[in-house]
This record gives sequence, structure tokens and C-alpha cells, in this order.
Amino acid sequence: MSGEKLLHRAAEPFRKLDRFLKTCTSSAKCSMFLMGLGQIRNKQVGKGILLILAEIAFFVYYALIGVTDFIGLFTLGTKAGDPILGITGDNSITMLIRGVISVVVTMFLVFVYYQNVRDAENVALRRGEGKPVNGFKQSLGTLLDEKFYMVTLALPVVGVIMFNVLPIVFTILTAFTNYSSEIAPPKLVDWIGFGNFITLFTVTSYISTIGKIFYWNIIWAVLATFLSYFGGLCLALLINKNCVKGRAFWRAFPILAYAVPGFITMIGFRYMFSGMGPINWLFVKIWGEAARVDFLGINSVWAARIVCLLVNTWVTIPASMLLSTSVLSNMNKDMYEAADLDGASSMQQFIYLTLPFVFFATTPILITQFIGNFNNFGISFFLRGGLMNMSEYFNANSTDLLINWLYNLALGGSNNYYGLASAVSILIFILTGTFSLLAYVTSPSYKKEDTYK
Amino acid sequence: MRKPDSSIRAKRIIDSAWSYLLLVVIAFIFLFPCVWLITSSFSSTGSIYDYVGFFPKTFSFSTWIDLFTKKTPSCNYPVWLGNTFYVAILSCIFSTILVILTAYTMSRFRFKSRKMMMKMTLLFGIFPTFMNMTALFVIMTQLHLFNNLNGLIILYSCSAPIGYLTQKGFFDTIPNSIYDAARIDGANNFQVFVKMTLPLSKAMIVYTALTSFTFPWSDFILPQMLLGGNKDNYTVAIGLNEMTDDMFSLFAAGSVFIAVPIVILYFSLAKFLVNGVAAGAVKE
Repeated sequence: MSGEKLLHRAAEPFRKLDRFLKTCTSSAKCSMFLMGLGQIRNKQVGKGILLILAEIAFFVYYALIGVTDFIGLFTLGTKAGDPILGITGDNSITMLIRGVISVVVTMFLVFVYYQNVRDAENVALRRGEGKPVNGFKQSLGTLLDEKFYMVTLALPVVGVIMFNVLPIVFTILTAFTNYSSEIAPPKLVDWIGFGNFITLFTVTSYISTIGKIFYWNIIWAVLATFLSYFGGLCLALLINKNCVKGRAFWRAFPILAYAVPGFITMIGFRYMFSGMGPINWLFVKIWGEAARVDFLGINSVWAARIVCLLVNTWVTIPASMLLSTSVLSNMNKDMYEAADLDGASSMQQFIYLTLPFVFFATTPILITQFIGNFNNFGISFFLRGGLMNMSEYFNANSTDLLINWLYNLALGGSNNYYGLASAVSILIFILTGTFSLLAYVTSPSYKKEDTYK
Repeated sequence: MRKPDSSIRAKRIIDSAWSYLLLVVIAFIFLFPCVWLITSSFSSTGSIYDYVGFFPKTFSFSTWIDLFTKKTPSCNYPVWLGNTFYVAILSCIFSTILVILTAYTMSRFRFKSRKMMMKMTLLFGIFPTFMNMTALFVIMTQLHLFNNLNGLIILYSCSAPIGYLTQKGFFDTIPNSIYDAARIDGANNFQVFVKMTLPLSKAMIVYTALTSFTFPWSDFILPQMLLGGNKDNYTVAIGLNEMTDDMFSLFAAGSVFIAVPIVILYFSLAKFLVNGVAAGAVKE
């Protein structure tokens, strides 16, 4: 595309705006001047007054704290506090949060303003055509009907923005600051650009730790997903076999395991595999003292990893089995009879009939499981008991995943590297976000969601 | 050419013998850790190092009595249990309402920002809430919700709508024709929701309530982050995790006690579970 064309396209919204300003009704112009004025001109007094009140509320907010908060987002404070001299300086972290909130409020203002002008324009056009216009009561009535979705979504959306989106935004911003337990209020925190990322990828102890953790993280996610997925599938097939009687009875054992809260299971297994624990007692009893294995100790690498995989498989197989069972119950039995007549062995039936079907039906779940395993915080945290500082690692051990490392950096040790930890969060965001969004958008359950309508 | 009958029968017997043997082994693997914990809770000495192998030398009820009567600095089980109940029940109520509303809206209505919202929730949904631990810590402190059980409830309830996909899948299977009939009779969308959708989706509501009760009931990470310090604010999960090796039987008893309600819930809903887990999520 030539530069001129690009410029032309970039200017398109402005031309649209220009055209709109030239042709729009005077009600829309009134609403542009003051929210709600156009609505009053359109004889929608109730709505107009509400909008004017909203505008006043916005202005009071900006006059009192909004503008200061917004500027604070950039400076992060100019006056350092000193507890000894009794100076209460600027609290950079509070300023960061309040600055973000001021941006959110501004975005909300823009949205309301846009809707207000659009509404004034539309209603004025309708009036011009002589069509009836909703009164205040009727407007409220549409909230229970055509616009019912606005009512039902209001609370969830506000909640999610407040406690999910805002924290994510804050995390992303923190990644570009030098916030840590060394540099925290009353000291002033500052923007340092990509400093944390540069530290992560150039300082030897960090980069070698990332390398080792990432290597294990990938192996772990693949193996853990594979074991629980196929383990569950095989168990479901075994219980579904024609010769097996009392399916509900056999199914009860995995369901029991499924019902026990995960942290109990994992702490339980930590005791079971501990140095003086029962498993080691058994080993020593059978093979003598030389067989004692320090499964979860600080220097254990592959022994600990294998225990983690086994325990995770124990924890996740039941859910996977239940899933496979319900998928298999949807499967057409005729296919197997046909295959039997053709002389296909049971192994062939598994590979050519069962597997493709189950695989096709559970792709979205497989993605979720993979991501869940990639970010499986609990396993290493509970089984290793928050063990850190293994040799050759910085603030981590051999079974820690990126998410454990993030926790250790931020809250685990005596030093809290909030900025660095947030940079690691961003790495995890990018890795898992790209993967799952791509996988999900290309999956059938997203494309064909209306199949059953 | 067909093989003789006797050989087929022999093959079948061997096959089913193998299957049953495997099933018994698997059942043992799943059952044993649970049995182990239960017997441990009846140990007369607390420490795991007094055991002979897997099981305690002597048995008694003393651990269970201590669990509910003794109040020590490191164990205050009745208070923890009360806290856990409070958080789990309120979170369950609010989460269920929010999730059902979100899922119904996303399934039933077609509006402008819908696809965008679906992609965004999917993106947020894959990140565990606690990944933004620094941010949550700061925000909760700002809102005076740090070290406060209500903060936990708000956090659970507000993050719940992100996991609406299973419920949406369920609402997707209710044919539009049912709604259209009601609309022709003059019901507005609010009435349709209250009078048609809610009664139709009882099973899904039960499933949602169950999962949103069990999550806070057995969650560890968020309470650990947000209830630091004050032991009177602890939930059972944090309390149990902080127990040491010599309190093993106390840990076992405390674990068994909070696991039992969940196990009962799961078994009474076992049939529903077999179908329900995949009902919404798995589609072709």
C-alpha cells in the first residue's frame, strides 16, 4: 500500500466525524455541548436530567481528584516520604492504581458521551419522521426487554473489570517499574521502561534459571496433559468394556479421589513421599537402607519430577475419566459392529474409531487442560513445600514452573521483586494467551456454536 | 474361517480376568491414600515418625477430640471451619447468580460487543486470578479488604462470571422456539428468563452452585495471599498447610472432616456428574 493511500485511510474517521458534524441534527449538537441537553430538546426530560447529573458527577470527580490522579500516573510521585522526619511523601503505588482508575473513568466518560450523542441524533431523526418516541417509563421498560442484556451483564462486567481486568492492567504496568521490597513506599517507585525485561534476559543467574524452568515447564505441560488425558480415556474404556459388571462401583473410586480437595491430596502425598515417610519405609524394608530415595528433597531433580507427574496424574485422571465417559456415551455403537464384521482388532478399533471421535469432541478441553497444566501452581508448591534456592537456580527448584517462580519472586523470599515478577507474568500472558486464543478460535466449538439452535 | 468356540471362550475369560485385575489395582491406587489419611487421623500420637510404615502403632479418638476442643496458637479448627463456611456459602450464592446471568445473556442475546467479550473472557479466564498477586494485594489494601473475609468473597464472586462457558453451552442447547412461543404470548425478556429459563435449567443451577461452593471451600492460594497474619481469619486450607510433621494426625483429621461433605455431595450427584461435566463444554 502506498503512503498516500495509508494516509487517506487513516484520515477516514476524521472525515466521517466532519460529515457527521455538518449534517447532524441540532439535538445532537446540543448533546455534544452538554450531555442530556439534546434529550431535553427531544422532550425526553427524565433521561436528559439523568445525563446532566452524570456529567456533573464526572466534573466533580475530575475537579477533586481525577486530574491529579491522572498526572500522578506519569510522575508516580515527586516527594519521597521519610518516616524518621515525619514527612508523608507521595505513595507511588497508590498513585499508580488511582491513575489507572482515572483512565478507566475517562474511557467510561467517552463511551457515555458517544452514546448520548448517538441517542440524541437517533431520537431527533425519529421525531423528524413523525414516529413515536419512548417516554421515560418506556425507556426503562426496554431495559427489561430488548436491552435486558444490559441489566444482566452490568454487575458481572463491573466485577470482572474491577477484580480481573484492573489487576491485569496493574501487573502489566508494574512490569515497567522498579517496584520491589527495596524500592517501595515511602521511597519513590519509578518507570524504568524495559529495564526488568533486560535484566531477565541478560543477567546470567536469571536467564539460566528461566531457561531451565521453561525447559521443564514445556515437558511438564505436555507429559501431564498426555498422562491425564489418555489415562482417563483408557480408564473410561476399561470400565465401559462389555465384560465388566458393576460400572457404578468401579467408577466410585476415581470419583472419591476427584472429590477430595486437591491441596489435601497433595499435602498428603508430600508426607507419604517424605524422606522418613511410608514409601521410603517400604523401599528400605524390601531393598535395604541403600534404596532410600530423597524424593522431594532440595537436591532431587528427576525423582521429584516423576513424583510430581505421578501425583498430578492421580489428581487429574478422575475428571478426565468422567469427561471421556460422557463423550463415549454419545458415540455410535454401529460403527464398532461394522468394524467387528470387517475383522478389525480391538487395537485397530481404538486407533481408527475411538481416538479420532474423542479427540475431535474434546479439543477445547484439551487446550484448557494444557494451559491449566502449564500454569499448575499447586503441584510444586505443595509437594516441595515452597522449597527454594536450589543450586544453579535463582529462587526456584527443579519442579518449579514459571508461575511458581513468579510467586517466589513476588512473595516467596525475603526480597520481593514485584517489578521482575510482573515481567515474568507478562511472559506467561504472551505464551499462553497466544497459544490458547489461536487454538480456540480455530476449534469447532467456537465456529459452530449455533449447531443445536 | 471362524475359530472354534472353546478358544473364543478361553480368550474371553482371560480378557475379563485381566480387566478385573486391572480394575482392582486401579481401585486400590485411588482408595489407598484416602484410607491412609483416615487411619492416620485415629493415631494416638500425632507425629508421622511414630508410624510403622504406613499405619500408626496405636489408635485412639484423641486427635478428633483435640481438633474440636483444643485451641492452640497453631490450631484453632472450629474458628477456621466457621470462616470457611462463611466464605464458601456467600461466594456460592453470589457466584451462581452472576454466572447464570452471564451465561444466559451470552447465549440468548446477540449484541454488538458480544464476540469481543467472549474472546476477552476466554483470554482472562486462562490466567489464574492469583497470577496478579501483587496487584490484588495492592488493590485489596486500597479497598480495606485485605485480611478480611468479605474481600475474599467479593474476589471469588467477581471472578466467577469468567468461567461461564459450560453454562452457556447448556443454554445454547435450549431451542429458540421455546422462547419464541413465549414471546408471541407477549412475555418480555425478563419474564421469559424468570418463568421459562430458570425452571428449565434447575440441573445446571445445581451444578453451578456445587462447583462454586467447592472451589472456595477447598481453595488455598487466594486465602493464603489475602488473609496473611491473623490466625483468627484463617480458613481451614491455610491452617492445615501450616501444620508441621509432628501434627500429622491433626492434619489428617482436619482434612478428612472438610473432605467428607464434598465427597457426599459428589456421590449424591455422581450420575449428574458423569453427564454434567461434558454437557456444556463438549460439542461437535
